[in-house]
Amino acid sequence: MKKLLPILLFTLIIGSALAQQAVKGLIKDESGQPLPGATISLKGTSAYAITDVEGKFTIAATKELPFTLQVNSVGYKTQEIEIYELSGEPAEVFLKNDNILDEIVVVGYGTQKKSELTGAISSVPEAVLKQPISSIDRALQGAIAGVQVTQTSGQPGGGVSIRIRGGSSIQGGNEPLYVIDGFPVYNAASTSGAISGATINPLSSINPSDIESIDILKDASATAIYGSRGANGVIIITTKKGKADQTSINYEATYGVQTLRKKIDLLNAKQFASLRNDALFDSNPAGGQFQYLTQEEIDQLGSGTDWQDEAFQSAPTQNHQLSLSGGSGKTRYAVSGSYFNQDGIIKNTDFERLSTRINLDSRPTERLNVGLSLTASNTKANVAPSGIVSALLTMPPTATVYEEDGSYTLRNPFENIFSNPIASLNEQINKTSTNRVLGTVFGEYALLDGLTFKVLLGTDINTSKEDNYIPSTIFEGATNQGSASTGFVNSSSWLNENTLNYTKDFGKHSINAVAGFTQQEYTRDIVRTGATNFVTDDVTYNSLQDGAVTTRPYSNNTKWALLSYLGRVNYNFNKTYFLTASLRSDGSSRFGKNNKWGYFPSAAVSWKVSNEDFFRPASRIVTNLKLRASYGATGNQEIGEYQSLATLRSLTYLFGGALVTGFTPNGISNSDLGWETTNQFDAGIDLGILNNRIGITVDAYYKKTKDLLLNVEIPWTSGQATSLQNFGSVENRGLELGINTINLEGKVNWNTSINFSLNRNKVVSIGGFSDSYISGNYIVKVGEPLGTFFGTVTNGILQTGEEATLGAYTGNATPKAGDRLYKDISGDDKFTTALDRTIIGNAQPDFIFGFTNNLTWKGFDLSIFFQGIIGNQILNGNKQTLELFNGQQNASTSALDRWTPTNPSTTIPRAKLDPAPVFSDRLIEDGSFIRLKGLTLGFTLPKPLVERARLTNLRVFIIGQNLLTWTKYTGFDPEITSGNNTVSQGTDAGIYPVSRTISGGLSVTF
Amino acid sequence: MYNHTSKNYMKKILSIVIATGLLFSCVSLEEDPQSFVTSDQFYKNGDQATAAVNAIYRKLYESGQSLYNSLFQIGVEMATDDYAAGPRARNANVRAISGLTHDPLNDRMEQLWKQSYDAINVANIAIDRIALINPSEINEVLRTRLINEAKFLRALNYFNLVRWFGGVPIVLHETASLSPENLYVEKASEDAVYQQIIQDLTDAENLPATYSSANVGRATSGAAKSLLSKVYLTREEWLKAANKSKEVIDSQTYELFEDFADVFNVATKNGKEHIFSAQFKGFFNYQGNSLASRSAPFEPPGINGDYADMINKPGKLYESFSANDERKAVTFVTQMISPVNGLLYTFEPHLHKYYDYAAVGSQGNSSKNLPIIRYAEVLLIYSEALNELNGPTPEAYWAIDEVRSRAGIEKLADISPALTKSEFRDAVFQERRKELVFEYQRWFDLVRRGADYYVATLKAAGKANAAPRHLHFPTPQREINLNPKLTQHPDWVNF
Repeated sequence: MKKLLPILLFTLIIGSALAQQAVKGLIKDESGQPLPGATISLKGTSAYAITDVEGKFTIAATKELPFTLQVNSVGYKTQEIEIYELSGEPAEVFLKNDNILDEIVVVGYGTQKKSELTGAISSVPEAVLKQPISSIDRALQGAIAGVQVTQTSGQPGGGVSIRIRGGSSIQGGNEPLYVIDGFPVYNAASTSGAISGATINPLSSINPSDIESIDILKDASATAIYGSRGANGVIIITTKKGKADQTSINYEATYGVQTLRKKIDLLNAKQFASLRNDALFDSNPAGGQFQYLTQEEIDQLGSGTDWQDEAFQSAPTQNHQLSLSGGSGKTRYAVSGSYFNQDGIIKNTDFERLSTRINLDSRPTERLNVGLSLTASNTKANVAPSGIVSALLTMPPTATVYEEDGSYTLRNPFENIFSNPIASLNEQINKTSTNRVLGTVFGEYALLDGLTFKVLLGTDINTSKEDNYIPSTIFEGATNQGSASTGFVNSSSWLNENTLNYTKDFGKHSINAVAGFTQQEYTRDIVRTGATNFVTDDVTYNSLQDGAVTTRPYSNNTKWALLSYLGRVNYNFNKTYFLTASLRSDGSSRFGKNNKWGYFPSAAVSWKVSNEDFFRPASRIVTNLKLRASYGATGNQEIGEYQSLATLRSLTYLFGGALVTGFTPNGISNSDLGWETTNQFDAGIDLGILNNRIGITVDAYYKKTKDLLLNVEIPWTSGQATSLQNFGSVENRGLELGINTINLEGKVNWNTSINFSLNRNKVVSIGGFSDSYISGNYIVKVGEPLGTFFGTVTNGILQTGEEATLGAYTGNATPKAGDRLYKDISGDDKFTTALDRTIIGNAQPDFIFGFTNNLTWKGFDLSIFFQGIIGNQILNGNKQTLELFNGQQNASTSALDRWTPTNPSTTIPRAKLDPAPVFSDRLIEDGSFIRLKGLTLGFTLPKPLVERARLTNLRVFIIGQNLLTWTKYTGFDPEITSGNNTVSQGTDAGIYPVSRTISGGLSVTF
Repeated sequence: MYNHTSKNYMKKILSIVIATGLLFSCVSLEEDPQSFVTSDQFYKNGDQATAAVNAIYRKLYESGQSLYNSLFQIGVEMATDDYAAGPRARNANVRAISGLTHDPLNDRMEQLWKQSYDAINVANIAIDRIALINPSEINEVLRTRLINEAKFLRALNYFNLVRWFGGVPIVLHETASLSPENLYVEKASEDAVYQQIIQDLTDAENLPATYSSANVGRATSGAAKSLLSKVYLTREEWLKAANKSKEVIDSQTYELFEDFADVFNVATKNGKEHIFSAQFKGFFNYQGNSLASRSAPFEPPGINGDYADMINKPGKLYESFSANDERKAVTFVTQMISPVNGLLYTFEPHLHKYYDYAAVGSQGNSSKNLPIIRYAEVLLIYSEALNELNGPTPEAYWAIDEVRSRAGIEKLADISPALTKSEFRDAVFQERRKELVFEYQRWFDLVRRGADYYVATLKAAGKANAAPRHLHFPTPQREINLNPKLTQHPDWVNF
């Protein structure tokens, strides 16, 4: 919250005139300026007065002394003054202001008072920032209306996917732009490909405890200043600065334990053996009922190996943060060091971060202001290799982790070959380590009164090393006797921004303008190499020359550049009528030579109705009413580099047994390739009721994204399958509601905040000649939202005697009782997977919400945070493999109800050695959930006690994350999606599950 | 207010601040990729021209289920009497082809079409651009050779396409822009496609007869002539087929291996019998032959076979081999020793031509080449063409008996010296089936004999869905959707 704002002082001068039995007064603000428009009411009566332009008022004293006057003014805290006598002497009253409306909000290339905003901008509540988390984007879950945050993996340090006001791009990036202390960063992971599994979130290298505030720019008026990178919203992160003459040393420590929320119900060894017997019998009836194990052998089996228990663990997490801030005279500083460590709930996975930061601000002369913001960090992660989660679910319970001789069981012993997941977790090295330095420096010089020139320089340097070793002792490494690979990713980006800022008040007119020129360049190098066939597993990836066979090396360099001109004018008349207009022109290297430059204008107006004279009568109830409207264009350039060019790639062939190199085209050049443009209209209302104890913000928006960067399908006769073109459009419509209430003030303080948002997404057009295309289990179809599941519809089970009549609806060449039946959608009186598919669900939620209550009483503070996503569906991909019932791999306990001649189930098919996996509506589940996302209970020790220990402040706390979840979803956790792809959102297949955490900690200020 | 000294100081600071701002010259928006070349920068000299042609060879099997690595098997050969989708072939599209229930949406059809045109486009680029290279940058002999190699490969791909799909669009130049006239090409007649194939192969006849060891595996004049004889055979231009195959025989460049096993021995690859093969090498940059893996059994621990390609039992392929046929042991396997437990496992016959004992447990790394055309087939082409021209002449008997003798079975001239033309035709087809099993020939051979023969043979082999439309594959629906000028094959409209 905006500590940037100093305490405001009110000077209230009250005079009186006994003769008229009236109270006269003058209200001024801290700077001595008269405050017009303030409401003065006589408590207990209906009498009120409003200050004039000189801040003067007169109110009739219609009540016996003593009485109380209440002063309300938008932007200032309500003050009550007890009048005991009408002395005629002016009284001075000092008022503390903590009114949210005068929070300072960081906007693109500047700051603004919240009360003067014309756009839709939300700030992340302070309580949310206090959670111990690996990366700051995780803090946004459920915190802000219009922002949907989904984890892509529960891997410690793993990624999240963020959609601000819905996804608008089909093939371009949909993640917002992050601006960290002025440095724009698109949060896309780069990997050398040396390791497998979830990618580590690049934002995890920024220490969340250093963050002072997060402001989210949502509408075009706010984001258009970021031009070609603004279409997905902008998240502005500001780190903590020092405060002058306020030295403080703070140490905070948190220790927590994470656990798996729930296991998936799977067959035990006995149940599995019987399933496999059934499957074998089904395929070869002549072999009898007990082809795998006899009943006697089955009876001797225990429950077998629980592979989930073998892999999952309760895992510790800890965070230590030491920070020092202060300042004297012209210089302020904040330095911090922190250590964060999180073990994964899957064995041998973890994430660790060491980070340091220094933020410096100095004003060497009155006209010059310079500053530095610099962070350096090292993050390390042991990543779960890909396929682990599905392997630990499907590994048969009759298999053991180790053979009798103590060596690992190499793989699933049955037909479906995959490796022992515990051996992989224990023996495979799969890790990454990243060093990051992100820093900005600026100098700001006051050229004239109100006119400042600012130069900002920044660099973001990332160096990652990725290492993988698969030893010869496990299945994956056995065929090539140990395999090592190692890779480096070095990226660096530099930024230069030059802006002129002009602020001036002319009577009732205020103007604030910014104009600038910025440029940014990014370079990335990747090198990867490796070796196989090692005689020893001891040197792993550290001595590639020991491997007998060298893997073909790989290197790659990419570069992009962005050159921009920007301008914005904020104008207001009498703090009542506000107007903002902005324009950014971006030149990006990523586009075709005919289309390098894009222009992104926006305009917004707002009207503070509550400042109007005619509104005065209502102002005792409605303290603040502001109407806003904005329209503008933003772009998206997240398509990768060199896409407009006809690039070639190399391939190899063999002549005379030796490799030769060939070159083949990647695509057809498209010199017209250009921007994806989003036009957005936003209308909003800000409402403050009862002296702003109830604050309501409502926004409605319509976004249409056109010229989508789409890999348009083209005839294969061209030699290519697709070409990247600007084609098609997607729209998002939505409504956002934020409510903040102060329920109790005094001994007990209680406030509540609620955010609610809904978004409706729809594909308006796509390229080519058809109105839809199928992408795996999804369809992109005009009129339907992105994330639409496309599959078959189950229709019961084929029963004995129905083979001839209904057999054609099983899709099997030789239908048999117990086969699953499907609906014939094409109307050809038979079922085929290709033809009989239809829309069977959608991953987009109906609405999402967050609900937070904060209570303080004496030294206690309590924060309860609920989050919910309602109406979305999840493709439970794990279920597909767990319901094959093929006896080649483990199955879910639904197998216990499978069809047999004696149990003619109508929902669960028979065991079958060789089923074809069919994507059907059975895998689509309701993904709605409500979750107790965060619960914090803190206790701040009483001052005298603390001071005796020579401390300034001491607080102890416990924090619970993801404590309770209400959902019908049967998978590990509903809050998940695989990958960042908007088209295929909402698939849960083999994803590292999200954990539940309980932590305790303390915070000491010296 | 400031005094003069501080004003000067201020000015200094101001100039530093502004200078810093302007220090950075503007970034460049021109893309100059360091890790890629663009087509405008390439095709400038002999080495680059060679690389352009090498790429067309790689399109024989670029990645995954690629034309000559397994796509031919699962996308074409499954639709014959000899093969069926094995227990591990879970893909519904493959099972559909095996059961002849495939339709224009089948993704293997799509891949056949897509990968062939991909190769053709790369060949077109090579032919167009190599011709434009400055004479000072390329040796003329090399230029001609490379263009002819590209033409050979273009012809091979069109020959496959026209046999699978009937008339197809003829694209002979690089698709350089996204204009409609470039993107939307209509189907040409089968005859027009064949004329193009014959023209390209006739040019390719000028290729060298042999190459230095570093270039072994490239298309030769022998390869062009052999393929051309096969084109004529397919078109039932018997005289031309006989003459062209005779040219290959008379060139004395090729001979049969004495031992049939050497056709598939890694040590004897690119040997005297091999005319043109897809080149594979295991444990070497993912260039292994994956057919071995697809046909290998999964029962014996450590073999790690997929068993996705299986013999269609009712077709009685295995039973058609006589006990003394030396090809039987090379073509099939019924027993294997597990490398894990040392036990001997016995199972139903599995295809075995590409199984590489240097890659046990990892058959994706089989180093066996896949013969696209070999001398044994040229002899059988010659025999068949002569019989169609003049009946079973001694010369026709000689050619087929070369192949039979090498397999260790009786000469046809000895056991059936007086066959009728029709009986001899059956004998040649039966010999082709046994000699060339698992070499991507069966579907073409069945189709060459016409709808009645194809349908009857498949029905006899238990594939009851066989119908006359199966003489062609349907044009992929995707292509029809995307190209307004493209039409479906008439047999596949309202089938």
